[in-house]
Amino acid sequence: MSTLQVTNLESGYGEVQILWSLSLGLQPGKLTSLVGSNGSGKTTLLRAVTGLIKPWKGNVMFDGKDVTKISPHEKAEMGLVLVPEARQLFTDMSVLENLEMGATPKAARAEFAQTLEWVYSLLPRLKERQNQLTGTLSGGEQQMVAIARGLMAKPKVLMFDELSLGLSPLLVINLFEVLLKLKTQGLTMLLVEQNVQMALAVSDYAYVLSNGRVDIEGESRTVMGMESVRKAYLGI
Amino acid sequence: MNIEALIASTFDGLMLGFVFGLMAMGLTLIFGVMKVINLGHGPLIAIGMFAVLVMSQSLGINPYLTLPVIIVIGLLTGIVMYFVALHRVINSPELTTLLATFSVNMMITGLMTVIFSTSPRGLDVTLGSLQFGRVTILGTRVAAVVIAVVVTIALYFFLYRTRQGKSIRAVANNRGAAELMGINSSWVLGLSFGIGAMLAMISGMLLATMFSFTVLTGNALETKSFVIVVLGGLGNPTGALFGGIIIGLLESITTIFIPVSWVPVLEFVVFIMILLVRPNGIFGARSS
Repeated sequence: MSTLQVTNLESGYGEVQILWSLSLGLQPGKLTSLVGSNGSGKTTLLRAVTGLIKPWKGNVMFDGKDVTKISPHEKAEMGLVLVPEARQLFTDMSVLENLEMGATPKAARAEFAQTLEWVYSLLPRLKERQNQLTGTLSGGEQQMVAIARGLMAKPKVLMFDELSLGLSPLLVINLFEVLLKLKTQGLTMLLVEQNVQMALAVSDYAYVLSNGRVDIEGESRTVMGMESVRKAYLGI
Repeated sequence: MNIEALIASTFDGLMLGFVFGLMAMGLTLIFGVMKVINLGHGPLIAIGMFAVLVMSQSLGINPYLTLPVIIVIGLLTGIVMYFVALHRVINSPELTTLLATFSVNMMITGLMTVIFSTSPRGLDVTLGSLQFGRVTILGTRVAAVVIAVVVTIALYFFLYRTRQGKSIRAVANNRGAAELMGINSSWVLGLSFGIGAMLAMISGMLLATMFSFTVLTGNALETKSFVIVVLGGLGNPTGALFGGIIIGLLESITTIFIPVSWVPVLEFVVFIMILLVRPNGIFGARSS
């Protein structure tokens, strides 16, 4: 049974339909990636799953419950947390305050101190910066805050939207190493990425989206070897 | 002109300024959190004035002891006002929220006119006075400043030291991200509106201990709040406090030299100058 199961989901903006009967599932403790070119519907899917836009048809099951129509803050409370594209930090607040806001769900609030210690051990840079305003940090440090803020919620499923966007290759490798560490600790994750090669390299299972539909799915290793994927996304 | 009059006016203006600052903070907080200009601000100030009037005259309660009741009425009125008038249009263009809050203004003003008429009222409150040479400082003003300062400090403590307060700042900063972190932004917006209304009512209560007033005084103070808020930079509570002090000083010092009826003219000249020269306010960010 998967922790997050999307079935025949359709959604879009106004009259424009973006997602066409899209289905996917996340295996517990696995890192799943969702890749595809610009405009293939990746971000729209995340917005529909979190409830930032309304699904038109189909349903989203999380932890055995139908959460299709539930608002984003209630989903976060349940443990379905998104690290949004372009980080969306509280830039006028300090790093520590951002992390406190991440720990809004009740369960997370109770274990704030332990979670904070764990997050600082994963991303030690943040401890040095904890009293700095996040708006004054570098892009890489801001992305670390975004990941840390998501982790502070003690999520059952953590989703990342375009984690690598605008970061140097070295930073991207560092952040992906953090994801691999989280995987060994058993966290279920969904990585939505334009950086197809990187995403396929770190993930266990992959979905390739095209025009709002799942085009290809399978073990990441298998997907990476597919002729069509190599041609279309990897340029090899 | 003599030097004593100038010193007395400066003290007077400074003390009045703190109350003006508190009043404008209510307006600027709401704008800062939800980008709504609350055109119902004036009637909320008036409710504060009449609440203290009714409680002290009909129930015989000391005006200063009504403060806790005013705080509760303010919070509740603001929260109800948000969910009744504003919540459904919170994501609409500015004109819609302006109209929504303006209609609340009309309703409260109309209702209060029916109940209290528009004749002038005043509180019978004396707290003695302090004498420094020939300069007299009224006890009511000292009490008003003390309350205004304590409320301001409590507000800052709330916004920077408590989880609820921090979530208000988070929602003000990035509402979408706050939702994604599990913060119920509808509740936070309602609470912020409640705090804005509460500040308006507390300032109304304090001003009622200093001046006579009518049902319509609130609306005159609303325009004054706009001047202060623009002076201090929209959405910036500290700026509102300084803006309030500037307007308080301006108001009391200029009356030594020119008739009182010219004060609003002067205020609006300052208002227009600020808009022309520094549209983000004296303490506002310089960008865009």
